[in-house]
Amino acid sequence: MSIMQYNGGSVIAMVGKDCVAIASDLRLGSQAMGISSHFEKIFPMTDRVYVGLPGLATDVTTLHHQFRYRLNMYTIKEEREIEPETFAHLVSSTLYEKRFGPYFIEPVIAGLQKTASGDFKPYIAATDLIGCLNFAKDFVVAGTASDKLFGVAEGLWEPDLEPEDLFETIAQTLLNAVDRDAYSGWGAVVYVLTKDKVIKRELKGRMD
Amino acid sequence: MDVSFAITGKGYVIVAADTTAARSIVKMKTDEDKIKVLSPHLLMAYSGEPGDTVQFAEFVERNIRLYHIRNPHGLRPQSAASWIRRTLADSLRSRRPYSVNLLLGGYDTSEHAPHLYWMDYLGTMVEVPFAAHGYGAYFALGLLDRYHDPEGSLEDGLATLRRCIDEVAKRLVVAPGQYKVKVVDKDGVREIAL
Amino acid sequence: MEAISHAGTVLGVLARDGVVLAAEKKVTGKLLDLSGVKEGGYGGSGEKIFSLNANVVAGVAGITADANSLVNYARQAAQRHLLHYNEDIPVELLAQRLCDLKQGYTQYGGLRPFGVSLLYAGYDPHYHFQLYHSDPSGNYSGWKATCIGANSGTAQSLLKQEYKEEMGVEDAVALVLRVMSKTMDSTTLGSEKLEFATLTLDPVTKQPKAKIYKPAEVDALLQKQGLGKKEDTETR
Repeated sequence: MSIMQYNGGSVIAMVGKDCVAIASDLRLGSQAMGISSHFEKIFPMTDRVYVGLPGLATDVTTLHHQFRYRLNMYTIKEEREIEPETFAHLVSSTLYEKRFGPYFIEPVIAGLQKTASGDFKPYIAATDLIGCLNFAKDFVVAGTASDKLFGVAEGLWEPDLEPEDLFETIAQTLLNAVDRDAYSGWGAVVYVLTKDKVIKRELKGRMD
Repeated sequence: MDVSFAITGKGYVIVAADTTAARSIVKMKTDEDKIKVLSPHLLMAYSGEPGDTVQFAEFVERNIRLYHIRNPHGLRPQSAASWIRRTLADSLRSRRPYSVNLLLGGYDTSEHAPHLYWMDYLGTMVEVPFAAHGYGAYFALGLLDRYHDPEGSLEDGLATLRRCIDEVAKRLVVAPGQYKVKVVDKDGVREIAL
Repeated sequence: MEAISHAGTVLGVLARDGVVLAAEKKVTGKLLDLSGVKEGGYGGSGEKIFSLNANVVAGVAGITADANSLVNYARQAAQRHLLHYNEDIPVELLAQRLCDLKQGYTQYGGLRPFGVSLLYAGYDPHYHFQLYHSDPSGNYSGWKATCIGANSGTAQSLLKQEYKEEMGVEDAVALVLRVMSKTMDSTTLGSEKLEFATLTLDPVTKQPKAKIYKPAEVDALLQKQGLGKKEDTETR
């Protein structure tokens, strides 16, 4: 079994109309044994940038703390908050720094990018464990249920969903995909980002 | 072969670990204390590769102590746990990593709440209401899902612990004979005879 | 030490539910480009008051270049602590970190010490709200209300007279501005001469929240306290 499957966990992000959503399960396992059903893998970097870190749990924490360190120094020196695209490159370079002894994480980034005209454009991206960026216009997936997530998302996602519809779409995609994955599940959490607020909802799902 | 459990309740954390020191199939000692008292309100049960365990536990113990001496106030459980986690995570990618699994129980005297952290040798850490390491985990976690009460009294907690120990004794071929049990609450750390 | 006694006054007052910092700016004039501080950022005009971490703001007095270097050091020390211990650095510890650095320059020959005094306003779960002062030699101490820079003696005695135990942050703001207006050379206070910051607990999250006032907010505050300029002065 691959080290990427040791703790389990999955993350998905989707684009909507002037909004983005990012969601993950809450399981932390040690191979097949469940340890916790409250292990969050999605972290707010700013009010408009969220990152999901599925993969090896020790690296989830390590990378979260590392990003927080770099981001705080960026924010305090630049006196502004980071943009999603800039953050995606920060993630990418942080991972590539460890090209020959990588962190076993495949990050997913979701955010709202400020445009020249002053409004916000949805932005999602994912990288592999050595930081190769993949931008998408619709959705990105990662984690032990990524293959299932691709399938369900392909069927449910449509362009220009409003925040509430996007929430429903991403929640159903995640819950149904992780039900077919032994290493993901045990509850889920969904964030929907709009230009003036972030909605966080915790979902129960199947607890077996 | 080590077995360790930990349970939180109303204002306390119980940490229990077996007292067997074995080498291969031979019991060398049956009164080994595998729970370190890291600070007046912090307990750490350790298990894993013999040699690494004691070495790492003492390393942690001395560093936590050093922080207490150097700084105006000691580390809170959450901060101590984070520091230990980082030490393990850094060790994982070193030439020879420590193979030590930990249960960290503490009482935060500034927010008046008990905390329990499950940690493995990879540096995986999560805060949990109850936890176990070793073969005992396979038997105990199911029981704890059913019987654990986060608001339970110390007596309730000890009764649940006894259930776990009995189940392991009944079903595990290599069940340990004795356990050491320590409790941490607002008054500090103390040992309890089961 | 000499530089500090000429530097703009920095004043700090500890209240029951917060800490207040105010500083007198020396680099002023209508040719100074302040366009960068109008919006964005964390407030202030970056001369005297700096955010060191989520839970600490500092006011500096002395050689500005040295201060910038110390501020950068403090920010890194705070982030390092956050990385190692996953908690905001305790305020006294941050003061200690800087003092260890400052003390080093008094001990070894060939280099000059940092010509900077700092006031640290902070919060941590151990001692809640705190106010510390550190001098170039690396001494530090905790205060209920204190002052550094030019005229600090006058301000100190004013504070001693007017400080009341257990006062709230609103009263502390009023006290700080009152003392500030008496110690500063100019007759009227305005955002071009004053930097201002408060540290309080967010009522919802219970996390410390530093607010470094933007120039417009400083003026608004001064109007509210009746210490601002009259409407028809020449700056309009």
